[in-house]
Formats: sequence, structure tokens, C-alpha cells
Amino acid sequence: MLAERVFKAVGKPVPRNEDQRLITGKGRFSDDFSLPGQVFAAMVRSPHPHARIISIDKTPALQMPGVLGVYTGEDCVKDGLKPIPHSPVPSTKYDMKLRGPGNTEVFAGSHMPLPTDRARHVGEALAMVVAETLEQAQSGAEQVAIEYEVLPWVADSEEASKPGAPRLWDELPDNILVDTFFGDAEATEKVFASAPHTVTMKSHVVRVTGVPLEPRAALAHFDPATQRYTIYAGSGGAVRQKQELAAVFGIEPKNVRVLSFDVGGNFGTRNRSFVEFALAMWASHKLGRPVKFRAERSEAFLTDYQGRDLVTEVSLAIDKDGRFLAMRASNLSNVGSRCVSLSPLSKGSGLITGSYNIPAATLHARAVYTNTMSTQAYRSSGRPEVTFAIERLIDKAARQLGFDRFELRRRNLVRPEQMPYTNAVGSIYDSGEYEKNMDRALALGDWTGFPARRAEAKSRGKLLGFGFANYVESSIGSPKERADLIVRKDGIEVVIGTQPAGQGHETSFAQVTADLLGVPFEQVKITLGDTDIVSAGGGTHSGRSMRHASAVIALGSVDLIDKGKALMAHLENVPLEKVEFEDGFFRVTTSNRALSWFELAPLAEQDGLPVEFKDGLRVRRDNEMHTPVYPNGACLCEIEVDPETGAVDIKRYTSVDDVGRCINPLIVHGQTHGAIAQGVGQALWEECAIDPASGQPLMGSFMDYGMPRFDNMPSFKSEIVEVLSPTNPFGIKAGGEGGTTGALAVITSAIDDALADYGHPQIEMPVTPLKIWNAIQDYKKHHKAA
Amino acid sequence: MQHVTLTVNGTKVSCDVPDETLLVTFLREHLNLTGTHVGCDTTQCGCCVVHLNGKSVKSCTVLAAQAQDGEVTTIEGLAEKDGTLHPMQEAFHRLHALQCGYCTPGMIMAAVNLVDTYPEPLTEEIVREQMEGNLCRCTGYHNIVKAILAVAAAKHGVTDKAPAPAGAE
Repeated sequence: MLAERVFKAVGKPVPRNEDQRLITGKGRFSDDFSLPGQVFAAMVRSPHPHARIISIDKTPALQMPGVLGVYTGEDCVKDGLKPIPHSPVPSTKYDMKLRGPGNTEVFAGSHMPLPTDRARHVGEALAMVVAETLEQAQSGAEQVAIEYEVLPWVADSEEASKPGAPRLWDELPDNILVDTFFGDAEATEKVFASAPHTVTMKSHVVRVTGVPLEPRAALAHFDPATQRYTIYAGSGGAVRQKQELAAVFGIEPKNVRVLSFDVGGNFGTRNRSFVEFALAMWASHKLGRPVKFRAERSEAFLTDYQGRDLVTEVSLAIDKDGRFLAMRASNLSNVGSRCVSLSPLSKGSGLITGSYNIPAATLHARAVYTNTMSTQAYRSSGRPEVTFAIERLIDKAARQLGFDRFELRRRNLVRPEQMPYTNAVGSIYDSGEYEKNMDRALALGDWTGFPARRAEAKSRGKLLGFGFANYVESSIGSPKERADLIVRKDGIEVVIGTQPAGQGHETSFAQVTADLLGVPFEQVKITLGDTDIVSAGGGTHSGRSMRHASAVIALGSVDLIDKGKALMAHLENVPLEKVEFEDGFFRVTTSNRALSWFELAPLAEQDGLPVEFKDGLRVRRDNEMHTPVYPNGACLCEIEVDPETGAVDIKRYTSVDDVGRCINPLIVHGQTHGAIAQGVGQALWEECAIDPASGQPLMGSFMDYGMPRFDNMPSFKSEIVEVLSPTNPFGIKAGGEGGTTGALAVITSAIDDALADYGHPQIEMPVTPLKIWNAIQDYKKHHKAA
Repeated sequence: MQHVTLTVNGTKVSCDVPDETLLVTFLREHLNLTGTHVGCDTTQCGCCVVHLNGKSVKSCTVLAAQAQDGEVTTIEGLAEKDGTLHPMQEAFHRLHALQCGYCTPGMIMAAVNLVDTYPEPLTEEIVREQMEGNLCRCTGYHNIVKAILAVAAAKHGVTDKAPAPAGAE
């Protein structure tokens, strides 16, 4: 941990460096780039959830005006393209280790840019048409004639896990790719056998999609002179994209340059490579022209990597005083047609016991293939699902067993003196004051005033419900990060391999660097996103960026200061120990000589210096950090339900979030607000629904996918708590995902509470007015004039 | 083909474009004004809002030819010539009303038009109702509402009562 010091920039709500270009229309999003002679790619997509490809006739498309080429999976094979190497199994030291059935390696279905054998989900790209204009490419795509043999399909994960279900991969005997037990099953069963109380709940946390407002796009160009590909494509990590795209072509990563500047939202959806990026590169090589692909919104709804889709069944054993004794969980994840990431299942597996001290637990974690788009880590990957499960189960237990729901939680929360706390499946919670979070949230949200507000609502014929949830989540992520720190006469540049999509790295990383090096915030510039400059880096996901960046910048700063001291000693011809560094100045203790970073930097450029200064005043530092952190908090909300229509109105939403050290509260509050909105969206409106009769996705536009909007969202009360994590130099946890983590639980908790007079019906998310209304009618039917 | 003549951000422009060319395509691809964005295909998201003859329009739903002889202002033309930001741009920056920035140009253009034209004093409720045609996936709308109300308050001579930027409001 850094010695406590007076931070000048860290901790201040500094408005962002990024904003100037974004508010004046000068952002650089992928589709903003154009190259001379560029042509356009359009995809031919499968209309079937599952079908064998019998033949593809390109001829009619090739005769269309402007069409330059039509390419299929067979062409990919002919040209030696390889599958995208997604490496879906989380593998840092602290990730939960998921295995295939019978403790085998997990089988991850091959993800070729275009398939040769079958279409495995609606919307899968089966052929690409490239033409002079976008309209010509789209018209050409309509003329590609594909003959199919339609196959039986399965979209639902429970159906897919049953014997005899339609099978997606010949390499597997069924659709199950993960089957792993965690915790101590025997001890858990023993406790359950003798426990005074048990409660059980089953729920399907349905599939949603990330909906970044910038549709994914790529502009690729192959230069025959250098044999290099350049691709402008926003993502969650340019370095990862470079490596994976290079692997598709079997070339050295240095022969791919990825440019990812402004990225219009990510939330996880962009962290894995999209087939169209490789396809645009391939076509640019074949045609000798730059090739642009830009997804339409309907393509984004169909084929952006999606999120959630977990069936969870949880049971809790409780003693007569309300102490939690043991937990049993079974989680079934729907990975879609190809396994691109098991992060959601893995992350959730480590957190099934939530914020509570539960001595024994066991989890059966499974994942299945289905005829749907692949799922990926989506904001707070895996944690909202398990938080929903434990928190809603506690509400149910309190009600069934006659405990106060807050008291029941208090009695079982992990206490500060238990930190670091190892939970029953082996996750080590680093720090936190969970009960204090609860107290703060209840005070901030005015719990004591709730009965009066409920009575007032009732006088208007409305039902006001109070929802509550605690949460703990984990931030792990890619363990490696690199920073180059470069001092010039007019400023300091930090080159780093994270990839923001609105999180403000150019601001918060500059705040950290400024304080570490004793320079004004304004003199630090952060460089991201061009792989010819950014040589390595783990990208942005799992709330890793602030923690990893600050850690590697802190280490690099020490190196840089040492280098500055050595240079000063050399230039002044004094022993090293006679040079001190303080507040951005190098001082010779035996004279009054002092130089700032910016005075020293040009002197490092002169000829005749010892070899260690040949690169000037710059350092490169790599860091590897595996230990996870556990952001935590509490949230509550009040929702008014109209029993006549089932309509819901969120009246209050309050959250308390322990993010560890907060570098920039302006940014962290913003992250909290946005994260809450995404969780609320899932709880109330969002769903990638699939028609059970046809297997067709039912959402293809903003007209049929319910979104958080200005007029259905409330303003928020959010409070930041800073219990410093002992695991990294600044004590950072993470601030991007806490808001989502508790939101599913707290929204459904409030609706449940509002419907107390109607028997607390369990309504599956998204909790739409129609479902609420139906539940009310159902209750009335069964309790007529009781 | 259509011969389209418009005034965009104070400059007269003239172009031959295919009949079906949308105003947003005209701006982005013919004039290289890439600050105006496209976020959907159905006039739902508002990323493409510009001002046409003093009114907010979704430029993905206006043909370039329909704007013939019109005055168009895009996000690139909102600040003063000397670079002084429009109060709405300044408020978005100060109050952190943007994250990824993709919806921001359309959001700012719609907000400017709302503050300029709404006949009564704005409240949070009115702002939320009036801005419903613009989507943001990053901010949860909280800080955007604050920024719009702050600009409205300043414009009507009321003290800027917007709460502290990151406070617990």
C-alpha cells in the first residue's frame, strides 16, 4: 500500500480529458474512418436456428451491379483461415476452475469466420458479399442462394441439457460442455439433513444483450508492400484483438495493427473478436481494397455477443435462530452455439454465498450449447445472477420463517474482523464493512420514513414496495498489464493497454500518474488503443483497469524516478545518494541545483550519455497481479405498482458502494448510475426472447427490446465508500459493476414487497406490467371473497 | 440524382446525391461531419439529432433532398467560432453527462433545442418526458438530466442550483 499522502489529483472530481472531442463532434469511432477506394461488406445470415448447409450458389449475387466478391466457409478453408481462438475458460490463479463432464478439458466448438457445415443460430453469418457500395453489398447478399437441410433445434438451456435433445456438436455426446462441482458436497448434505429449516428457489435469469449505442464496425486494409493488415475496430482491448485476428490468418501478431480509439459502449459485448472483423481483413487482402463492415442495429441485436442466461436453483439451510448453516446451488449456463467465454459461470461460481458467512456450500456448475447467439461476460459477468439468487432466497426465507429481512441479513453478514474471509467455495474476500454499508444505505434511503410513504401511496390506490439487497462482487480479469512512461520537455505520456469505452481512463490514469510523479494533472497524457504504440496490455473487463493501471503505473513511477535520479547524478557528477526526488523535482543535496522532470527530459536526449539512458527519460514496466478484489455494497429502492394495470414506477433508488480507493468520484458515480440502469433494464424490460415455436429471436430493434429511457428511470442517490483493499498499491477495488450487481435483486425485491397483499408471487424477470397484472388476477381468482 | 443545396453550420454546401440519400449520410459521408452518429435503423435512439431550420430532427429520417435550402446545425457547429463551448456542451462536461460519447452529439443537440424552445420552466419530469426519444446506455440519464436543468436554470436567470457534480443526489 502506498504511504498515505496528500493527493493533489487523486480523489478529486476532475472533469474528464476525453470530453472536449466528444462534445464537439470530434470523437474517433470506428465508422468515422474512411479510406480511399474503400468497399463494403454485407453478411448473408442464417434464417434458421439449426440447419445443414447443402450448397451455396454465388452466381446470382456475383451478377449484381457493383458486387466484387462472394465468400463462403469453403473459401475460408481454401485460404487456410483458422478458428478464432477465444480461450473461453478463465484461467488466472484465482478463477474457479471449470471442467468438462468427467473432469475432461472443456470442449469449445470451433468458431470459423464462416462455417462450412451448419448454421447453429439465427443470424449466423454464412457468406459475405463485398461490393462498391453498402447498398450494392446488401442487394448482393439478398441474391446469395443457400440450400439448407433444416435440423431440429434447441434454444432453452434446460431442454438442451436433457438426453435426446438436438445436438450442436458431433464431438460431444450431448450439449453439456461444463460439469463441475465446487465446495464440500458431503458436508453440505449432512448439514441439510439435520437443519431445522430449508428454503429453496429456482429462477431463470434470462438472456439480455449489451446494446452499446455504437454498432460494431470495422475498416480493414491490407498493404501488400509490408504484408501487414490494419484494422480500425473498436473493442474491449486492441492487443487481444491483434493476437486473435493474427491467429485467424496464421500470421505473426506484429503483422496486424489494430486501431481502437473512441468506443461507443462495450459492457463486455466487444471483448471477444467478431467474425466480421476477420472477414473484412480477409476480403481486403483478396480484393486489394479497404473493406468496411458496419452492423445495423438489427444485426447488433442478433449477433452482438449476448449476456446472462443462467438457470439457478438454490437452497439454504437455516437454524432456529436464523443462522445460515449451508447452501446448495445448481447453476446452468447457456453459452449459445459456440463457447466464447465461461467467465459468467466461473465468476458467479465463486460468489454463490454472497455477502454472508455460510460455513458449508456446494455448487453444481454446468454449461450447455444451444442454437442461440453465443453469450459472453456482460456487465458484472455472473455476479448479478448469483446475487439475485441469494438475496431473493433470503427475502423468501425471512417471510417463510418469520424473520425480519434486515435482521436475518445482519445476523449472517461477513464481519470486518473476519477479513480476509474465505467463503465456502474458496473465494477470499479482501476487505469490506458489509453491515455498515447496510446501515448507510438504509439511512440514505430513509427506511424509517417508508411506512408513511406506503400509506400515502395506498391512499391513492397504489402499492409501494421496498426492495433491499446486499452484494459482493469480484474483480479479477487478465492478470498482466504494461505501461510505458515517457517524459518529454512539455509533458509525460503514459502508454497503456487498457481500452475504455467511456470509463475515463485518460482522466483517472492521469490523476494517478500526476500524483505519483509530482506533476500537474494537465501535463499527463494517456495513450491507448493503437497496437503499433501499445505493445501489450490486458484490455478492459471485469473492473480490472483502474486497479491494474494504477499498480503498473506506480511500479513504473518508481523505476522512472530511479532513472531520473541516476541521470541527475550523472549530469551533476555527484554520487547517486546525493540526489533526492520530491514533488516533481530532482535536487542535489550538496548544492542548490534542482531540475524538474521537464528540464531533465531534454538533457536525456543528448549524445554521449551512458547506455542506460539511450532511450531518454522513459521506462517500460510490466506487472502481473492475480489476487482478486471484492467490491461490495448495499442498495435499496422503492417501486410503486398500479394494481389496476400492473404498471411500475421507480420512486427512489439508493446505493452504497465500496469501491476501495476512489480516484475520481465524478467518474465513479457516473459508473454507478449507468450500471444501475443496466441492471434495472434487465429486471424490468430487457429480454432476448426466442419464439418457442420457431426458434426465431423476437427482438431485432429498439421497437421490441425494452430499454432504460429518460422517462422510465429515476434519479439516484449514490454514496461511495472507500475501504481500501490491501491487495494493490492504491487500495483500489472497482467501481464499474457494483451498480448492476445488486440491481436485479433489489428491483424484484421491491415488486415482491409491493405485492404482499397478493401473496408475494414469484415473477420471473423481466417483470413486465403484463406479468404483474396476470399475477394479481391469478391471486384474485384463487382468493375470491376469502 | 438530386442537387442538394444547404447551409450547414453557416457554410453553404452543394452536392449531387442519389435520391435516397439520408441527411445523416449526407453529413457524414459527403461532408465528412462524423460527429453526427447512427445508432439504430428505426428512428429510436436519437444519436443522429441535428437542427434543421431551428428544430431538432433525427437526421436518419430526413432525406437530404427534403432539407433543400435549409439551415442545418450539427454538433460541429454548436460552439462559437473561437471555440467557446455552448453552455450545454460546457454543462455536459462539468457534470459528467457523457461516458462513451456516442449518443452525446444527438443528446446535446436535442437538449439545446428543448431548452431554447420549451414554453414553460423545465422540471426534471418535463426533461425526462421531452428527451425520451434519445437513448443513452452509459449514464443512466441522471447526469444528463442535471446538465439540462442547469443550463435551463442559468438561461432563465435562476442561480445554477444543480447539485454538486458527484454528490449524493
